[in-house]
Amino acid sequence: MTRSAKKGPWVDPKLLKKIQAMNASGEKRVIKTWARDSTISPEMVGHTIAVHNGRQHVPIYIQESMVNHKLGEFAPTRFFRGHIVKEKGSRARR
Amino acid sequence: MRSARPIKKSGWGSDEATDSSEPRFIAIGRIVRAHGLRGEVAVEVWTDFPERFDTIEVVYLGGNALEAEAWQVTATRWHRDRVLLTLQGCEDRTAAERLRGLLVQVPIEEAMPLSEDEYYAHELVGLDVVTVEGEDLGRISEVLFTNANDVYVVVGPRGQILLPAIADVIVRVDLDAGQVVVRLMEGLV
Repeated sequence: MTRSAKKGPWVDPKLLKKIQAMNASGEKRVIKTWARDSTISPEMVGHTIAVHNGRQHVPIYIQESMVNHKLGEFAPTRFFRGHIVKEKGSRARR
Repeated sequence: MRSARPIKKSGWGSDEATDSSEPRFIAIGRIVRAHGLRGEVAVEVWTDFPERFDTIEVVYLGGNALEAEAWQVTATRWHRDRVLLTLQGCEDRTAAERLRGLLVQVPIEEAMPLSEDEYYAHELVGLDVVTVEGEDLGRISEVLFTNANDVYVVVGPRGQILLPAIADVIVRVDLDAGQVVVRLMEGLV
């Protein structure tokens, strides 16, 4: 069953507090979190959050299109490690 | 035993002797199943450039980036999000079934050119990573593709560091010098 709309989205309060403090001070640093179930709120856009995937913290840059998704969706717990060389490019996001 | 025959027995990308560990082919898809009774194979598309299937004439089928066999493509068509390839010498479903699971590759020198500031993962792996202050962080051992930004795994004196591929962190990639210059954000290490 989906979460009641009346309650609003769940955002980890500790994480939100840190983000709001950074927004107030204009500071930018990577925040480590284990709160994979936390919803991405608009305040997080532009910040880099290192989301734990059970083994390590995967640094994720939050973009507007990721709002309302959960943090855990962007930090996979399993990576396929093969010897396949795919025709897929990697670029530094702006 | 394969009744359908490739056009070359062992289709290396070039005849020149090269380092055996260097990848010679780049995967653009994988054969997921046979389609129909006339020997067509359904290919799951992996490339960033799916339009290359519309004009492709030869594909190299194999299990890895080092060895593959060349096959002539006689027809291609799209079916939902997959490409259906008709290969010369693969005339019926039984022959097509034998190709299931093989990688559809092209020689690495035929890889599509990328835009500026964009690199293939195999080009990045092995590059030295240094900070703007000149500190050596080690080498890129792996590139992780997440649903958000890509992540470069760097192994070096500080242990394993995960660097997000974002403009705030990646200052410069110099393939010729074999070096990536990064700016470490607070909290990243």
